[in-house]
Amino acid sequence: MLRSVYLKTLRDRWLGAAIGVVALFLVAWMGIAAFAGMGDDAEDFIAAMPEAYLSIVGISAEGGVVGMMLGNMFNFMGPFVIAGIGVSMAAAAIAGEEAEGTMNVLGSLPRSRTRLLTSKGLAAVTVVVGAAVLASLSYGLAAVISGETLAGINLTAATVHLVAVALFYAAVALALAAWTGLRALASSVTVGLIVLSFLASGMLPLLDGGEAWAKASPWYWLNGPQPMLNGVDWAPVVVLLGAVVALALVAWWGLNRRDLGAGGARTPLLDRLRTDPRVGKAVSMLVGSGSTRGIATKAVTDARPLMLIGGAFVAFQAVVVGVLFTAIGGDIGSLVDSMPDAILAMIGFVDMSTPEGFYSGEVLSIVAPLVVIAAAVSAGAALAGEERRRSVAVLLALPVSRTSVAARKGVAVAVVPVVVGLCVAAGFAIGNAVGGLGMAWSGIAASGLMVAGLGWFFGALAFAIGAATGRAQWATAGTAGLAVLAWGVNAFLPVNPDYAEWARLSPVHWYASENPLEAGVLWGGLGLLAALAAVLVAAGVVAYGRRDLR
Amino acid sequence: MTDAPSLEVDHLTKRFGDFTAVDDVSFAIHPGEIFGFLGPNGAGKSTTIRTLLDLIRPTSGACRVLGMDSRRDAVEIHRRIGFLPADLALWNNLTGRQTLQYLANLRGGVDWKWVDQLSERIGADLDRKVGEYSSGNRQKIGILQAFMHRPEVLILDEPITGLDPLVQLEFHSLLRETADAGGTVFLSSHTISEVERVADRVGFIRRGHLIAVERMSELHDKALRRITLEFAAPVPAAAFEGLEGVHEATVEGATVTAQYEGSMAPLLAVATQHDVLSVASASVDLDEIFLEFYRDEVQAAEK
Repeated sequence: MLRSVYLKTLRDRWLGAAIGVVALFLVAWMGIAAFAGMGDDAEDFIAAMPEAYLSIVGISAEGGVVGMMLGNMFNFMGPFVIAGIGVSMAAAAIAGEEAEGTMNVLGSLPRSRTRLLTSKGLAAVTVVVGAAVLASLSYGLAAVISGETLAGINLTAATVHLVAVALFYAAVALALAAWTGLRALASSVTVGLIVLSFLASGMLPLLDGGEAWAKASPWYWLNGPQPMLNGVDWAPVVVLLGAVVALALVAWWGLNRRDLGAGGARTPLLDRLRTDPRVGKAVSMLVGSGSTRGIATKAVTDARPLMLIGGAFVAFQAVVVGVLFTAIGGDIGSLVDSMPDAILAMIGFVDMSTPEGFYSGEVLSIVAPLVVIAAAVSAGAALAGEERRRSVAVLLALPVSRTSVAARKGVAVAVVPVVVGLCVAAGFAIGNAVGGLGMAWSGIAASGLMVAGLGWFFGALAFAIGAATGRAQWATAGTAGLAVLAWGVNAFLPVNPDYAEWARLSPVHWYASENPLEAGVLWGGLGLLAALAAVLVAAGVVAYGRRDLR
Repeated sequence: MTDAPSLEVDHLTKRFGDFTAVDDVSFAIHPGEIFGFLGPNGAGKSTTIRTLLDLIRPTSGACRVLGMDSRRDAVEIHRRIGFLPADLALWNNLTGRQTLQYLANLRGGVDWKWVDQLSERIGADLDRKVGEYSSGNRQKIGILQAFMHRPEVLILDEPITGLDPLVQLEFHSLLRETADAGGTVFLSSHTISEVERVADRVGFIRRGHLIAVERMSELHDKALRRITLEFAAPVPAAAFEGLEGVHEATVEGATVTAQYEGSMAPLLAVATQHDVLSVASASVDLDEIFLEFYRDEVQAAEK
């Protein structure tokens, strides 16, 4: 191992990981405090829960409110954040240095590729394990300062399972990036895998005999054996870690057999995929050629891949959900009826026994916001991206004012969420027709509009941060952090009537205070989101006109 | 030359898909030599260099540095060479000194006294972050990292990019000192004046084909010079054609331009038979020399 490379990688990454841990701590603390404040009511909820349900979500009755909240942290938010950090580090391990062009210098040193890869890989393992352990300790802290106890909860076992699953995803990204040298490809494919396996492990068990299939999803092993209750189930952990080792060997093999990228002269990922005979045709059809008609049209077309892939994904999920509901609609009602408010809070207190409620819980509460925020933030951060790539010097040498350039880039922030919203509505419409669910068309249109509104707000936020600072990373990471926090505030504060009013601070609340499939467009919330988005874009345009560019 | 070559490219071919970037290129460089690698953008210079470094692998053929195979012994080769990539990228969040420390930690065997001396010579600023440097200052860090371990072989890809003329001079005398001490310098460039100034031998590459390798001194001997003669009255071009050493003569009104090699005497003898108003003479650019002498090879490469 190369100590310098290892330490430099840690140095570059610790801050991002620390921010992730702090965000997890805040969400856990908020949730535990909210539940704890309910006093005996919370205990009653748990006591009233059927044994079958407790076992599904992996909570022991003794675990109480803390166990319920931590179940959420270990099975939902924690793995997303920690696996996300691991994937981003693993994808950038070698491919990142290639993209930056620094591989030219690093690769000319008298150290083998194998040792570089090992050092970078171990740094990723260190950060994943460190973040997971610190997060778990912080949950303990959150429980203690809320006056709760950790009795009956095996934090260590849950952490072991979390680490094994997170390392598995990181190893997938490492292998992909080592073979292709394409950081963006490796991280986006792996994130796609994470989301798919998350959905598979959540939805397959709802079907008869689906539980067995769900075991194929790595995500299942976070909670399937209920480590918080039963301790570490070593068999799956060992299998996952074995897969990590195998994938690391695959990465080693791939890296040692290929040409390294040169950085500066590299072509964008999509152009490279387009020239690849195997996938070129499909990619060309999907992406088309970027429009060069004007700054605004180019900004919109630049955002097209994420917008269309994400939109298609959510639309596909919506169709599947429609079919799924027809298959299991009858059974799910009784299961959901027995759920306590605390769990329902995560999916917005919807009644899962109606198609409207099922759609809201499965699509509108998590996946659609995730996709629309990702697409909108990437469109919003694009202005700052021009500075990182230094193409801004050429752009601003044109006879167009700076504010005008910024404003035209801002058009993409308005358009991209609308396209994602249309995809959502189209998916709902098809699912509605295929499943014969009889949902109101106006509610379906309203859902698309609300999704677009949420995208406007976060896209505009990323735009404003990027325009004011010129740092695309700050725009992306800052907005993502705030989005997670906003989601947490909206999901967990309403559980406790004393805190419920505070949820109004969250933009997610304005999006999801009622189910648009039933209530139609929430004009107040939509208006607020749109107005704030307009203010943020305007502020960004003004700030961009005033500061020194980087 | 009897020494074993310190750098050898042996029938190297590199293809990227259907595109052949380097096509059956062979040459060798010996200790104490500065070898200029000259060619237009996209000729295959950087591809050849990246193969020498084992950043990319040959489609066929091989490269040897200090007698070792570029693939098999990459690590040992890297220990003994210094490399300055074209279009240098460094870590923007490190200062110049941190960058050098980072690379020195990875490399080992760095003499910091020598680094300080060098850095003073080329006037490098080590205390700011690389992201804040001008391209010239970043290039100086690149030069320092290539020289800091006193390598036996230096591989430099467009090294003077962004450097001001005074630093260029200092850098070139550094190259000469390195070669005089028995080191080997492989200098890739599209800046003709740079290659002319420092190289002992020069290879000319075009569209992936190595057109020719020539000694600089021999090139200068047969170097084409261009003479421009202004006469009082128009003179027929035919008067100069076929003269010993004259390659090409063109007439424009009363002005005759001719390219010649060797002695100017036969040409002047003819010229002075007419009423000469002025004479101007200049050397012809290196690439024009190549294009003139290797017209057939260049045409073959263009196909």
